[in-house]
Amino acid sequence: MNDIEPVLQVRNLSKTYMQGKIPVHALNDVSFDVEKGEFMSIIGPSGSGKSTLLSMIGLLDKPTSGSVFIEGVEITKVKESDAPRLRREKIGFVFQHFNLIPTLTALENVDIAMRFARVPKNERKKIALELLTQIGMRDRVNHKPSELSGGEQQRVAIARALANRPVIILADEPTGEVDTKTRDMIVDLLKGLSEEGHTILVVTHDTAISQKTRRIITMRDGGTASDTISH
Amino acid sequence: MFDLILRNLTQRKLRTGLTIFGIALGIFAVIVMGGMSEHFNLTFDRSISLTADKIRVLPEGGFFGSTLNESKVREVRRIPGVSDAYGFFQAPLDPESLGFFGGDMVIGLPPDKLGSALRDTKLTRGRLLVSGDGYRTVLGSNVAREFDLDAGDEIEIKSKRALRATSITHSRNFTVVGIMEYTGSFFDNGVIIPLDTAQKFYDRGDTVSLILAVPDPDTDPEDLAKRIELSVERVITFSPSQLRKQIEQSLIIFSLITISAAVLAAIIGGLSVMNTMLMSVSERTKEFGLMKALGAETRDILFMTMGEAALIGMLGGIFGIIGGSALVFYLNSYLESQGTVLFAITPRLIVIAIAFATLLGILSGTYPAYRAAKMSPMEALRYE
Repeated sequence: MNDIEPVLQVRNLSKTYMQGKIPVHALNDVSFDVEKGEFMSIIGPSGSGKSTLLSMIGLLDKPTSGSVFIEGVEITKVKESDAPRLRREKIGFVFQHFNLIPTLTALENVDIAMRFARVPKNERKKIALELLTQIGMRDRVNHKPSELSGGEQQRVAIARALANRPVIILADEPTGEVDTKTRDMIVDLLKGLSEEGHTILVVTHDTAISQKTRRIITMRDGGTASDTISH
Repeated sequence: MFDLILRNLTQRKLRTGLTIFGIALGIFAVIVMGGMSEHFNLTFDRSISLTADKIRVLPEGGFFGSTLNESKVREVRRIPGVSDAYGFFQAPLDPESLGFFGGDMVIGLPPDKLGSALRDTKLTRGRLLVSGDGYRTVLGSNVAREFDLDAGDEIEIKSKRALRATSITHSRNFTVVGIMEYTGSFFDNGVIIPLDTAQKFYDRGDTVSLILAVPDPDTDPEDLAKRIELSVERVITFSPSQLRKQIEQSLIIFSLITISAAVLAAIIGGLSVMNTMLMSVSERTKEFGLMKALGAETRDILFMTMGEAALIGMLGGIFGIIGGSALVFYLNSYLESQGTVLFAITPRLIVIAIAFATLLGILSGTYPAYRAAKMSPMEALRYE
């Protein structure tokens, strides 16, 4: 660890849902820091709170208590109206089900993230082409998701997550729907991106992925069970 | 964003097409009904402008009350401020019909006053009536077309005279000496004959239906109308502005009835837009959740969904206008051969129809758009 401020700080984060009248503690006093350029995974069984944690960091849900700071900004305290800007500027999402818009081509799916950031059209096209080329999808830019394999779709989704140059990329089970060969390719892609300086946080229950990350946080029953860094 | 809106619409062609068709039907009704209302507006406007400089003097009970003796014309003419006054006689051309809307009318006017009554109306054929013309007539353009008459032809006029408990119908051929250009006024459906011939033919003695009083140029017609009422016994007057107001009132009622029927049809079309948009928003729940996760603002989602609804409305409007105009064009050309025109499609009507269709689309899209914009991104992403 160095003395530069971490890009992500999670402090005493808790989330309690009400299931009818019964409170369910999905997250319980979770705290950790993430340095810039880290490639880390959060693992744990279903219901351990990994995805809930990711939703809090990604500003998709509000915690019951505790705070999340991204580059020193306490995102858990921002107004609802400021949330879209922070999502655009700070966070890139990669989902298990790819979540590409079926009516748009690969290029347009990358482009749309930048539309919301009001990036001028020419620049959007240039960046989208660059990103798709970078992930090896140059010759598939005009294909719609239905014409792409699972691995190709996920690569487009990764390009989309990179489009607005976010501070951190949050990947929720990014290899949950692809075969092992594609899985390795996606993990290598994410690893390569982290080596270029991107901070990547992967939620997974696939040990084949977590083994490739430098740091692994294991969650159990809403809390962190271990936090290991391999050298 | 507009390309995204278009993309979404073309993705669901049948549903979009049916919704546009629903709106188009509503706007079709607006164009047809509105076209009718516009025609009456225009006709009355032009008709009023033809007689707007004259005060109408009627018997106390109105048209259907007591008759007006021609001696009153002289009384009116004597009032200071009146530059000229003359009698005006009218009766339906077909005695069996009352002839209110679009019915042909026999109009009796003193030949030497025709120029004053018709102002700058030109003739397409022949000449105006002159003093001494007996059973001669000048026709309005609609009558001429309806009966396919030209100058020199003859037209049969029937009069129904009450005789004790029964009535006897007289008929007589009048020679057409002139045909007027289209004026957009009731004169188009007029068969103008000399006043004295009319009185004789209809057995009305010295009576007239109303008197037209022309005010001096520097006289206030409102003030003069009041003075005529005070000076001449048992008459009521309609000043140009009163006449305009009265006709406008009845036009408003007519317009309200026709337009509200059409608007109802269009609102039903609007509900189909709402239904379509609700389905579309519900189907795309996950897509909106994703967009929010990518940083879409509420206004981006609102713009996309309401834009889609507005476009459906606008397209429906355009197709409705095209369909409505086609029907109106067909009906007008058919009716023209029957001697009348019933519809007028004005630029104003087209602008109103398009604006109404678009607004209807936007309004119908508001609730679905609100639902899309207010979705929690996390819940939306989990939606299956």
